[in-house]
Amino acid sequence: MLIKLAWKNIWRNKKRSIIIILAAFFGIWGGVLTNGIFVGMWETTIEAAISRELSHIQIHHVKFRDERLITQFISEINTIEKILQSNPYIQNYSVRSILEGIALSPSSVNGVKIFAIDPNKEKLITSIHQKVIEGVYFSNKGYEILIGQKLAQKLKLKLNSKVVLSFQGMDNNLISTAFRVIGIFKTESKIFDETNVFIKHNDLQSILGTNIPIHEIAIRVSSTDLIDTTTKILKSELNNLSVQSWKELAPELSLTSGFLYLELNIFMGIILFALLFGISNTMMMSVFERIREFGVLIAIGMKKIKLFLLIIIESLILLFSGGLTGTLSGFLTIELLSRKGIDLSIFEEGMAAYGMSAILYPTLPFNMYISLFIMMLVTSIIASISPAIKAIRLKPAEAIRTYL
Amino acid sequence: MPLIEIISLNKIYDKTKVPVHALKDINLTIEKGEFVAIVGPSGSGKTTLLNMIGGLDSPTNGKVLINGINISKIKSDELIDFRLKNIGFVFQSFNLIPVLTAKENVEFIMLLQGVTKSEREKRTIELLNAVGLGDKIDSRPYELSGGQQQRVAVARAIASHPSFVLADEPTANLDSTSAEGLLDIMKELNQKLGMTFIFATHDNKVIRRVRRVITLEDGKIKSDVFQN
Repeated sequence: MLIKLAWKNIWRNKKRSIIIILAAFFGIWGGVLTNGIFVGMWETTIEAAISRELSHIQIHHVKFRDERLITQFISEINTIEKILQSNPYIQNYSVRSILEGIALSPSSVNGVKIFAIDPNKEKLITSIHQKVIEGVYFSNKGYEILIGQKLAQKLKLKLNSKVVLSFQGMDNNLISTAFRVIGIFKTESKIFDETNVFIKHNDLQSILGTNIPIHEIAIRVSSTDLIDTTTKILKSELNNLSVQSWKELAPELSLTSGFLYLELNIFMGIILFALLFGISNTMMMSVFERIREFGVLIAIGMKKIKLFLLIIIESLILLFSGGLTGTLSGFLTIELLSRKGIDLSIFEEGMAAYGMSAILYPTLPFNMYISLFIMMLVTSIIASISPAIKAIRLKPAEAIRTYL
Repeated sequence: MPLIEIISLNKIYDKTKVPVHALKDINLTIEKGEFVAIVGPSGSGKTTLLNMIGGLDSPTNGKVLINGINISKIKSDELIDFRLKNIGFVFQSFNLIPVLTAKENVEFIMLLQGVTKSEREKRTIELLNAVGLGDKIDSRPYELSGGQQQRVAVARAIASHPSFVLADEPTANLDSTSAEGLLDIMKELNQKLGMTFIFATHDNKVIRRVRRVITLEDGKIKSDVFQN
């Protein structure tokens, strides 16, 4: 009864109700879309960092991340690989040797991090093979190197150019070896492209003449929901090693992500705060126009709690008519844009400096819709409280004799 | 036990710090089935007395007993419930809910009472037929004439099966024909169903039709006359 009456009451003043419903529609639609773009931008950046280098979980010697010495490798690698293979959550892993060194060309020199990898296993962990823009992702020949576009430009290297890598050997002596550029990659991050190179495990083994030291095991789990659980399990199983999820490896990404959701909720809160005044004003006007009618309703026997609820329902209908359609439209717009992505390649240079992709895929997690729903509910109720109190405080004998 | 018993009723309004003694020591008894008019010039206290009987306003002192219950002692929310069950109201300006149809306006009070849907519909149709608006059940108030609106208001007032109906200037906004038609309906309800009607009015058409006329002047009962 109350819902039917509230619905009819909303349409007494069509123009006024439509204006507030449209304000709610555009406010919420714009808010949802903007949130979707921001979340998409950040999720894309995180996913790019995970795909480029981080993976979901990494294992290191406990001191390696701080000192980065070639001698700080993971021992008993076979035992560890058995543990990883027996874990049902782990989809794939790749073992890496990581050497700090310099790359020299006839024209310049640059400090680099040298990743010695098994190309086939690395394909299952990172997306470097997809980022090759010139040449190929390794072949069967020896002493091949994959370098980033930025480094190639800096050292003036082309495909098949020779580049010398110098790094410290296991015996602390300096080792220098020439590699031929087999491929040039370009990721979302200029810094990564300038400071990271990839060679093959076999070549490093030939150079060192011993078993290759494994400094890093990069792991991908079957679902992102399993990252924390798997990290916890591995930490307990490999307590003499450093096991870290991507959130621990790149705390700045994780922290910013947390703040982003807080900021976006505040952003939606500001939109709804503005709407609150509009709805409250509309409801107050509506109550003032119906003082006599409310007096009659109280006189004939409508309990004040029902009158209170009637006004709250009217406010809910006002905000939710625009708010829910705005949310749905925002959701559909995000879905549409996420299929092809938003091309921001005109800002590519600037975005690459921050490791951001030039193609944005808007997305908004389900819990953001839930929090938006709760915020709309609270806004509606707050907006209607003052008008509702005004209505229930009416004295029927006086209200009935009010003429507007 | 009388339907309504008013004992030493006084009402003093304290508006703008100048007290207005609207009702002065009123004593009155109204029995079930009466058809009574409270008359008097403007400001004589007719509406105030009607509001006291209807529990819409509280006396400064004195008692209003309905079926033996002192309504001035009933708490606000319980008084609303008491009105819902015992009192029907007809107002000067009809005061129908403009967004509801004639049928919905009549049904509304029964919804508040929790009457079942089938019973509501049956009673609504019967009442609208009884007031001559069987063909207007789906009309909104703005689609009805003043007389028709007031007839819907009468149907609404008696739909809840009240002990009595209070009608404040029910014919004031009606033309003569509509007023007579409305009074015919009320008189018939009084005679056939024994429904008690109490009017506050200065309309001679009403005064001529009632059996009892209580005249107020300056907040006091000047006369209380039964007529044929």
